[in-house]
Amino acid sequence: MTGQMKLGAFLWATGHHIAAWRHPKAHVTAGIDIDHYIALARTAEAAKFDMIFCEDAAGLREANVGIASQTSRSIGFEPISLLSALAVQTSRIGLVSTASTSYNEPYGLARTFLSLDHLSGGRAGWNLVTSASPIEAANFGATGLKPHADRYERAREFAVVVTGLWHGGPSGHDGQSFSVRDPLDLPPSPQGAPVMVQAGASDVGRDLAARTADVVFTAAQTFEEAKAFYDDLKGRLAAYGREPDDIKIMPGVAPVVAETEAEAREKFEELQELIPDDVGVALLSSYLSTSDLWRHPIDGPLPELPESEGMKSRQALVIEQSRRDGLSIRRLARHFAGARGHWRIVGTAIQVADELQARFEGGAADGFNVMPAYFPGELDAFATLVVPELQRRGLFRKEYEGTTLRAHLGLRRPS
Amino acid sequence: MHLAVSLDIASTGQAGLTFGEIAALVRNAETASIDMVIISDSLPGDERSSSPFEATTLVAALATVTEKIGLLAAASTVTHQPYNLARRFASLDIISHGRAGWNATMMQAPREAGNFSRPEGFSDDDFRRRTEEYIGIVQGLWDGWDADALLFDKSGGRFHDPEKMHLLDHKGAFFSVRGPLNVARSPQDMPVLALSGLAAADLDIAARTADVMLLEDGPAEGAKARYDDLKRRVMAARHEPDAVKVLTTITLAAAYRPAAVADRLEEQFRAKTCDGFNILIPAQPSVLDDFVDRVLPELRRRGLFRKSYRGTTLRSHLGLVGGGDL
Repeated sequence: MTGQMKLGAFLWATGHHIAAWRHPKAHVTAGIDIDHYIALARTAEAAKFDMIFCEDAAGLREANVGIASQTSRSIGFEPISLLSALAVQTSRIGLVSTASTSYNEPYGLARTFLSLDHLSGGRAGWNLVTSASPIEAANFGATGLKPHADRYERAREFAVVVTGLWHGGPSGHDGQSFSVRDPLDLPPSPQGAPVMVQAGASDVGRDLAARTADVVFTAAQTFEEAKAFYDDLKGRLAAYGREPDDIKIMPGVAPVVAETEAEAREKFEELQELIPDDVGVALLSSYLSTSDLWRHPIDGPLPELPESEGMKSRQALVIEQSRRDGLSIRRLARHFAGARGHWRIVGTAIQVADELQARFEGGAADGFNVMPAYFPGELDAFATLVVPELQRRGLFRKEYEGTTLRAHLGLRRPS
Repeated sequence: MHLAVSLDIASTGQAGLTFGEIAALVRNAETASIDMVIISDSLPGDERSSSPFEATTLVAALATVTEKIGLLAAASTVTHQPYNLARRFASLDIISHGRAGWNATMMQAPREAGNFSRPEGFSDDDFRRRTEEYIGIVQGLWDGWDADALLFDKSGGRFHDPEKMHLLDHKGAFFSVRGPLNVARSPQDMPVLALSGLAAADLDIAARTADVMLLEDGPAEGAKARYDDLKRRVMAARHEPDAVKVLTTITLAAAYRPAAVADRLEEQFRAKTCDGFNILIPAQPSVLDDFVDRVLPELRRRGLFRKSYRGTTLRSHLGLVGGGDL
């Protein structure tokens, strides 16, 4: 944590709140409207965000079709084509897309992201995920999800090959999962190499991040959780010959901001009211990697759950919160539905800035990945209310320092 | 006649064009109401490419700086999984408001498999069967959402109609893909599929699946028979000979006589050897300028090529079924 905080604008469907699409001011056709995304990207760029961030899954989010049809998350743009379009409609902001190591090949992925990097003049980043969803697996010939450890073994080799290709190599890779014969046929990256982003928070995920990532996104609700994660990950870097500042840790934050605290609360409650119970429970189930929450009374406590092969770190977080706050399934479902286990702040610009400042200066974050509740309204609210407050406090840039994503993030150009 | 322009952005022996230069070329072709531009993509062969861009990402960017012209990207069935490729092109089609297409080849690129963890490659027969299965999956995924599936009903809480979203449930010799795609249906129903690299054994596959066949220019005497044979195959598979447009690829050299080119195109077209042409142009702006400024006016004067676009989608330009505004 030094200097100013980094900010990502996490764009997702109609908004991060599960019921965002039903909000009267949400742009409900976001998933088929490129002009909407161009406008969001320009808003984020005008506010000097370091980057736009797109998550991704190669399949539906929800196996239950009835539930899926009550959310806006079954359709949307494929993010690499989306960011390629945005690359030539913006000039400074970083463009980070998620892509899976389980359903791609390193040569093709390295080449595609390098092309995005050239289209944007050095503003591309890749968020590595290993894909935990059996719905995705069924679109790629797999009969079942691979165990957590196997996925990470493949991801580690994948990351090594991709970074090798970006740095001009390799002359022949023949490994456990991949073989690559030639170097890439594109010129080198304008920023040395596209930025490597990761989000896995399990032990093996943290090690992979410490070895290869430039930026780490994470979910942390309390200051203590955020600080523990921050110290743990920064502490792992020395083993790989890296400095603490070589990784930027950016927890997700789900703000709901308005001119007054009462307005902000009202806005949040309005969204919560729009969540159908079955949608909330389904979402909670998917984050817990379980399918039988339905069998338990909705006003009763969370049952004991087996450790998942899916997202270990997220599951632990949800269970911990349910025990700590004594929440019923319904209340937990509503609680998680909007922020998806991320940190929520509801209040004025000053209150939001206070909270961000405390985590930033307290050594629990290098910046934040901002998850607006619905689009475009809540991104606008953050850009026009919170960003100027952070700038006034000297906590956020007023102008971009450079032209590449690495320059914005203060990352060293790889040699 | 239908006209495509193939931009060989990856040609060797010269500096790669910038995005701005490529965009200017494509806008020039759009001003001339060319049906579509085909962006090649090459993985390393013996000669190294000079382009900084991969074709699908380039087409996404080009879609935002053009309004009418069709945009095809070459993409290999070896480098992408079918689900990923279907998503990429479905997304390109929405970004471009119904102007995107996929140029797939039935020919194996020699060094490709070796960079995609398949050092053993594929036998010709396996590659053919695999490609046919692959195309079927991609088109099946593109067809997974009905045109009226999205409801956007905020107060009723119904984003889409679950009855109008269809699983693919494909299980074949090479792939199994459950679906559905997580990208909405294309504004032109489906991205255009142009098949190239066709051997004799591929022609029935192309007749069943393609919207456009890109053929090499052959000897004049066999051309009419070749076209008639293709249309018979299309008729047998689709009951509509016009369901597939046959374009003959013509390479324009840097220096040529416009009147002679116009004569040649007219002769081949009037002899019913094709539905149009795929003009392969080296990535030098002057060659396209010459074609647009000197050959096309001549073709228009002879009543052989449109003066302006009638519709807004690529299917509409090509006179294909579907296409939203045909």
